[in-house]
Amino acid sequence: MVECPSCGRRQEPHLTCASCAAPLGVELDCFEALSLPKRLAIEDEALERVYHDLSRRIHPDRYAQAPAGSRDASMRSTALLTRSYRTLRDPVSRGLYWLELRGQKLSDDNKSVPPEIADMVFEVQEQLAESREAKREHRAESADLAAGLEDRRVVLQTAMNGYQTALRGNFVMWDMDRQSQQELISELKLILSNIAYLRTLMRDVDHGLVELKAA
Amino acid sequence: MAYSDKVLDHYNNPRNVGSFAKDDANVGTGVVGAPECGDVMKLQLKITDDGVIEDAKFKTFGCGSAIASSSYVTELVKGKKIDEAMAIKNTLIVKELNLPPVKIHCSVLAEDAIKAAISDWKKRRGAASPAAPADKAQQG
Repeated sequence: MVECPSCGRRQEPHLTCASCAAPLGVELDCFEALSLPKRLAIEDEALERVYHDLSRRIHPDRYAQAPAGSRDASMRSTALLTRSYRTLRDPVSRGLYWLELRGQKLSDDNKSVPPEIADMVFEVQEQLAESREAKREHRAESADLAAGLEDRRVVLQTAMNGYQTALRGNFVMWDMDRQSQQELISELKLILSNIAYLRTLMRDVDHGLVELKAA
Repeated sequence: MAYSDKVLDHYNNPRNVGSFAKDDANVGTGVVGAPECGDVMKLQLKITDDGVIEDAKFKTFGCGSAIASSSYVTELVKGKKIDEAMAIKNTLIVKELNLPPVKIHCSVLAEDAIKAAISDWKKRRGAASPAAPADKAQQG
């Protein structure tokens, strides 16, 4: 139980007070902060709407003249709300947060890299090493190498889109089938780590392209 | 964050970078990764018929500590029997390279890479010679 800093009523922790609607300034998980059910499949528009509505209601500007307790609560709740919105808005960070809520870490029982990802990593990294070498030696084919990296960027982006789709599919499955949570967790970890490996690769390719193009 | 001299030494002059042929029956390959940061480490061990690691090579794409950990491990395992290598703990790597707490996961990755490479070698040898049945305990 917590006490509302504005009206003093004791109640279960929420973002706002059940009787006076002022922010309570207490810590909540991201779903609770946004008054959302604990479900992974979230519609972007619904999330946007809830966030804007709640942030308007608890905004520090509205409590600028209020007693210190209410003012502090408004700032704490606004920070929590924004943090929660940012965590849930991006599907990858939402998935990682979901694991965290279950006491799971992405790397738990998840160290082996799937062969298709490993092959991709080594191919791309060799391509990058080659382009760095060409650049260093001022060889003429660096335009070709840049084109090769651009092509690779497209392939990686396509793979990334595939994993993003798989991630949304996994989110939907959580709501439909509560029986096989263990399998869903393993699948979620696999998709999220593939996305992480791909992100690193895409970052390295972008970096390689910048270097190649630099005069 | 400052890297220790040993990390810098292995990072600037990595030992045993490269690969062996993947399909060599005496070579075990372990590919492991740290999904939090996207680092990927490949460790290959060339192992004699009586289970002694005669050579090791690695390729690591990641931070300085991950490269240093795998470079150090290739030196460490050479000449060891496979069960001695299996017993290597990441804490030894942390101590030797003086890794800071945020980089301990790099040493865990190197330990996992040794185990993955040895189980790959065992599995492939089991599959290669019908006389010696596959070691079921090493699978999965």
